[in-house]
Amino acid sequence: MRYVIIGAGTAGLEAARTIRKEDGSAGITVISADTYVHSRCMLHKYIAGERDEEQLDFTEENFWDKFDINWMKGVKVCAVRPEEKVIVLETGEKVSYDRLLLANGADSFIPPVGELRRASNVFGLRNLSDAQAIVKEAGHAEQVLVIGSGLVGLDAAYGLLERGKKITIVEMAPQILPVQLDAHAAGAYQKLFEDAGVRFILGRKASEAVCGSDGKIHKVTLDNGEEIPCDLVIVAAGVRPSSAYLEGSGIACERGVTVDTHMQTNVPHIYAAGDITGLSGIWPNATDQGRVAGKNICGITEMYTDTYAAKNTINFFGLVTLCVGRIREEEGDQILIKEDRSQYKRAILREGKIEGILLQGDISNSGTWQYLIKNKTDISSIQKDIFSISYADFYHIDETGRYQWTGTGKM
Amino acid sequence: MKRIMIDYEKCDGCKNCSAACMQAHRKTEGTIYDLDLTDPENESRNFILKDQGGNYRPLFCRHCTEPECVKSCMSGALKKDPESGHVFYDENRCGSCFMCVMNCPFGVLKPDRVTKSKVIKCDFCVNAGGEPSCVSSCPKKAIFVEEVQE
Repeated sequence: MRYVIIGAGTAGLEAARTIRKEDGSAGITVISADTYVHSRCMLHKYIAGERDEEQLDFTEENFWDKFDINWMKGVKVCAVRPEEKVIVLETGEKVSYDRLLLANGADSFIPPVGELRRASNVFGLRNLSDAQAIVKEAGHAEQVLVIGSGLVGLDAAYGLLERGKKITIVEMAPQILPVQLDAHAAGAYQKLFEDAGVRFILGRKASEAVCGSDGKIHKVTLDNGEEIPCDLVIVAAGVRPSSAYLEGSGIACERGVTVDTHMQTNVPHIYAAGDITGLSGIWPNATDQGRVAGKNICGITEMYTDTYAAKNTINFFGLVTLCVGRIREEEGDQILIKEDRSQYKRAILREGKIEGILLQGDISNSGTWQYLIKNKTDISSIQKDIFSISYADFYHIDETGRYQWTGTGKM
Repeated sequence: MKRIMIDYEKCDGCKNCSAACMQAHRKTEGTIYDLDLTDPENESRNFILKDQGGNYRPLFCRHCTEPECVKSCMSGALKKDPESGHVFYDENRCGSCFMCVMNCPFGVLKPDRVTKSKVIKCDFCVNAGGEPSCVSSCPKKAIFVEEVQE
């Protein structure tokens, strides 16, 4: 059986690992545009000069040999032809498959503002190749404009601060990290970045950007007319599943490649996992999708059930935050807040259930919250300060010593 | 694999296990008698929690069959060792994102108190050889090592 996996991120490689475990004699090929296996969550460490390409690798030592996987790197796929069971590479070469997994992720979305898409000094931050291009351009840039203050925008800013650049961040929302945090917790990060020299412009959008004769953007105009001089622009305005090459293949796509609970597409023998599905942009979910796809590809029925994706951890300048579930207050919510000089905790409760938690400063032993939120566990009968609820309140051990769930919480 | 089994009804909350864990992972030389319990660098990898009824509920890493922490690790720092079955942490590879803290459903993991750049995680005292320190120190035999099928 010949298995072909497009993409060398966590979804693709977890699938490869899973397939190898299930099928010792399988021929497994991974094809990726990337030339280094790298963790996208660490690209800011590359920009900062804290890690080199090899130190971004997240696989075990000798991964390719150990699992006997053939890796075609630096190769782009331009079409899939299910009727012939082949994929077509940019070079024109064809690779045949018996089972195919699409796990090539997503692309940065550059909004159609002015000539952002045309300019040679505008970058997203998604792949190592982006980070490499940013470092190169930063070599002769002083002023950097970052559009968007989500995790990617702040990652870019963090990395470039280490290179001594003057950074301005423009954000549409009235606060930074608007998807993850409330205004209070966001303010703590804003202050840390400001103390490091970053200027934030909140509640504003880029509305015009014109290329100079050198093909670069030297200033961006905001919707209030303010002009921001810059010689490097990072656009951190989200990502889109990287599925353009599937056009005409018959593989159904909506936001991303459409899959069922077995990570199978509408076309027989073709599966998809990770960010290309548009299901979630969260690392552990992509890993799990890869594992589930790998099992099903080998004919072992397994479902992708742990789909919960409203979860994040943040760590800048040693200030750590965990946020799971809903962050915005809605009518009828009960909001509980606890704060001291080293931490801020906020819980959103509704009808005895916890719908959102935000912990900043101290996130010790906080993993249980994700479980309680995603399983809509009723915690109303636990007579405790909410922030001291822990796994102890649901404690049960089976005969092999594994923890199980029981107690007052109704699952 | 070998797992630390927990007979929680025997636990009387003495926290000898936590002190032994701090001692086993301290950076300085010395014995338990000069272990500085107030030094924030000395942290335990196990915890004695209490439920709402005040009962002791020992929290020890299970080295899970399908470890959520490993699934969430974006740097390759957390890996399940195929031979021993234990989940090991390599602080040199760790990217300090703490998704593992978020993803452990039992809340076993935490960032280190001082630098907030490492994960405090049970290593089964592999470098100390033999039995995990917490197990040797339990006066009630509430924790003990047993070979279990995964």
